Amino acid sequence: MIKRKKNVFVRFITNPKVQPFLSVILPVALGLFIFILWQTQVLHKLLHTDTFTLPLPSQINQIIGDNIPKIITNVKSTVLVAVIGLTIGSLIGYLIAVIATVFPKWGAGGLSIVAAFNAIPIVALAPVMTNWTKDVSKDASVRSMVAKILVVMIVSIATMSVNAYRGLNDLPVFSLDLMKSYAAKRRIVFLKLRLPNSVPYIFTALRVGVPSSVISAIVSEYFAEYITGVGRQIRENIVIAQYATAWAYIAVACIIGISMYCILMIFEGILLRNRRS
Amino acid sequence: MSKAKKILSSKPLIMMVWFLVLVVLWEIGASNMEKTKRTPENILPHVSQIVGSVTDGKLVSNNMTATQIVLKSAGATLERALIGFLFGSVFGFLMALLMKLSNLVEKTIFPYLMLIQMIPIIGMAPIILAITHDIGTSRIVIAAILTFYPVATNTLAGLNSVSKEKYELMYSYAANKWTIYKKVLIPSCIPYFFTGLKISAPMAITASILVDTLQGDGGLGCMLSQSLKHAMSIYVFWQIVFFSAIIGILSSVLMGFIEKLVSPQMRQFRQSRKHRSKA
Amino acid sequence: MKLVNLMKGHGDDMRDMRRCRTKKMSAILMVAVLTMASMNGCSSKKETTKTNQTNQTTEATTTSPEGTTAADTSEAGVMSNEEIIKQAASEGKVGNWGLGNEYEIQALLTKYGQPITYLSQAFDMDGFDDDSISLASAMTFNELGLVKNSYDGGYNYGNTVGTIDMNEEGVAMLEDNIFCTKAFAMANPNTVKAFIYASMQGWKYACENPEEAAEIVYKYGSSVSPDHQAYMASEVKKLVETDMQGSAVTELGKMDEAAMQQTLQLAQQYIQLDDATAADKLSKLTLDDVRDTSYWEAAASSTDGKFGDLEKTDVTIQLKWLPQAQFMGYYVALEKGYYKEVGLNVDVVSGGGDISETTAVSNGTVDFGVTWLANLIAANAGGMDLLEVSQVYQRSGLVLVYKLDTFTK
Repeated sequence: MIKRKKNVFVRFITNPKVQPFLSVILPVALGLFIFILWQTQVLHKLLHTDTFTLPLPSQINQIIGDNIPKIITNVKSTVLVAVIGLTIGSLIGYLIAVIATVFPKWGAGGLSIVAAFNAIPIVALAPVMTNWTKDVSKDASVRSMVAKILVVMIVSIATMSVNAYRGLNDLPVFSLDLMKSYAAKRRIVFLKLRLPNSVPYIFTALRVGVPSSVISAIVSEYFAEYITGVGRQIRENIVIAQYATAWAYIAVACIIGISMYCILMIFEGILLRNRRS
Repeated sequence: MSKAKKILSSKPLIMMVWFLVLVVLWEIGASNMEKTKRTPENILPHVSQIVGSVTDGKLVSNNMTATQIVLKSAGATLERALIGFLFGSVFGFLMALLMKLSNLVEKTIFPYLMLIQMIPIIGMAPIILAITHDIGTSRIVIAAILTFYPVATNTLAGLNSVSKEKYELMYSYAANKWTIYKKVLIPSCIPYFFTGLKISAPMAITASILVDTLQGDGGLGCMLSQSLKHAMSIYVFWQIVFFSAIIGILSSVLMGFIEKLVSPQMRQFRQSRKHRSKA
Repeated sequence: MKLVNLMKGHGDDMRDMRRCRTKKMSAILMVAVLTMASMNGCSSKKETTKTNQTNQTTEATTTSPEGTTAADTSEAGVMSNEEIIKQAASEGKVGNWGLGNEYEIQALLTKYGQPITYLSQAFDMDGFDDDSISLASAMTFNELGLVKNSYDGGYNYGNTVGTIDMNEEGVAMLEDNIFCTKAFAMANPNTVKAFIYASMQGWKYACENPEEAAEIVYKYGSSVSPDHQAYMASEVKKLVETDMQGSAVTELGKMDEAAMQQTLQLAQQYIQLDDATAADKLSKLTLDDVRDTSYWEAAASSTDGKFGDLEKTDVTIQLKWLPQAQFMGYYVALEKGYYKEVGLNVDVVSGGGDISETTAVSNGTVDFGVTWLANLIAANAGGMDLLEVSQVYQRSGLVLVYKLDTFTK
């Protein structure tokens, strides 16, 4: 292999020790760059918009600062819905994938039906769920919470089941032969081969699932009976043309998404560390 | 016997059985609702009622039957979904290539690709409208934004899955970067690209229904919300729910079909199968 | 590449082998039955238990009120408005859509010393129907018609429901108006006057012939059933031709000083803004910041609709909602050629989407808009520069509707 001479810069950025730092520094640097463009209104010129439709970061920041207690209550309810919905949905999704693996013929067909739930728009799903959960509790805050969780759950089931099924079945070549040569029972094959093999796929599903659970929670709040949550605040404020406040809540929604994603990444790092080494 | 077995285990039949199971569950729920609710059709109507409303000739609004309304508005929505999907998947593919070309680019922009998905459309729409100054273009742009992410992530995963041995083989031929992309990277990412397409095709449809509601001028999204508000027959709503689910499945199946037609891996796969069956 | 194919082929063989084995191991029907049973149990367990629960609770809740009302109605009549509001508020069953429609309800709750919280009502009346909301918001021309009537989408309650009228309670706010930006009005005064003149002619004709107006709206891509459209036209007529005190209005589209002042005052009291700058601006707004009567006065005093050279002849107006008789005046003006007569080429854009009419007018996508005065006030507090040029609805169309047998003594 011909090795081309690399300059100092290339050697620096390809150094494995530098990699983890780069994956933090680079996005932050881009973020700062965008922030500067945004605050100095260069971004507004580029996008042909005004500080009303796209309020300045300083203004958004001030509104967040002024309303911390109110924002925290709303964040709590949104995060609760997203996390519970994602957790239950992922568990059910994984269970479906397991059943589909145990009974391959019938399971795969069932799996495509589950995947079809992804094609129902949330704007249709959310009001239906609100109607279906009317009798769950007399307390509107409880039943609208259940309705929102159901929406997030349905969205998460599809993502998880499809990915987990791949993880349980796309096994490394020859590994199944090896198990067979040991005369391993199906149960052993499942526990020792399929289950561990599916772990990275679970994380792939969650990477897609985390942002989509947050956005589903937000959209389902538009239709919920009990008025609470970051999504509801975004909608209320956009409708009465309070763009600065709405963007403050959009920023909060993004922070929720990023934090959940980061927590997921940390978990993934811990759980998959042994695997990589 | 073996023929009967084959029919019994054929995929369409299995799908049919599953579909029937769902219908039965739905009907149980609907019967319960019928007993306990004053207006059961708003909450959970019988499947027969929904099917009946499809063939019913009753004029619901604007001198059209419920089915005519759904089909007419579906035209506008699906057209936008298709255009948005095409732009979104091309953009997603190019993004993945760009991120593969430069590790720095990947590290810098990947978190932001995820972040864009987090901004609710309701907040994004006025800005996109301010940029494009046209509601139709805005709708397509937003539909594209909502669909490119699965394509980009899956394609990137495909590009990254290429094994070291293949690179080394190409280096031994002293192949340049362009050749490596043309001969190794792009062909091997195609199955992953199609996985992305299969996910994003139904998403394009839901996204397009969502962007219908940017402005109330037709499209499935508008009719859906209008019917939900009882301004017209509630069956328009139920028809749209089922219609979008069915079109979503079909779009995903269509992607699988196209994959079989164009993907090089599949071609060889098919040929090897043919050989075996001949032998 | 060849190696990969080989491996693939191998994998295929392997899979075939496995397939054979499973076939041998279990009869296919057995597998089918088992899978169905287990999948059933898994994917639907939640749903079935939920519906079971549903049944029990609804049976429990629906039987009890019916039982009591049968005994009680014979004794006394319906409660007073005050008693109804207090009872519904204490149970937390007052409903409104929110999203800028809630201020009148909050003012009413304050009037009777209740907290200003309410349940978010969906845009249908299902919540009212299933008793999760006992005092529900309704527009006289829309939801109220669905509640009372039996046509498609209606709930057929007939006269078994009562209403609390915002106008009578003295907490009414003004609704549908015509507005544009201040800059547009300054630059195109004659266009604005001509547009108001022709629109009011449309409204006049529509109010004189509501049935015909309903048919005209229906023709222009209405998304409402024809029966409901006719009902809506007859109710909208009342809002356009009667003021908050119940007296007749002859000059359509006028801006009544007292009614506007009441709207502004209630808006300042009940619009809650998290943005400190906007909240400060809201508290300082005066009527002069949100409306200009001169354009309407010029239009009303004109007899021929001639206002000199029109600065802009192609104009658009975005409605607050999808095409329905709520906006019949504009469709009638289009159909009868009133806009053409004054030299305008008007395009009516439906609203009801994520891009609100205030946003669309403010960023110049459309020239005119129809919105509620309170929404315009909030938008101006938020930094827009909008100007009301005519007030089409003279009284509030918002009522609270309740089932008579829920609130009997």
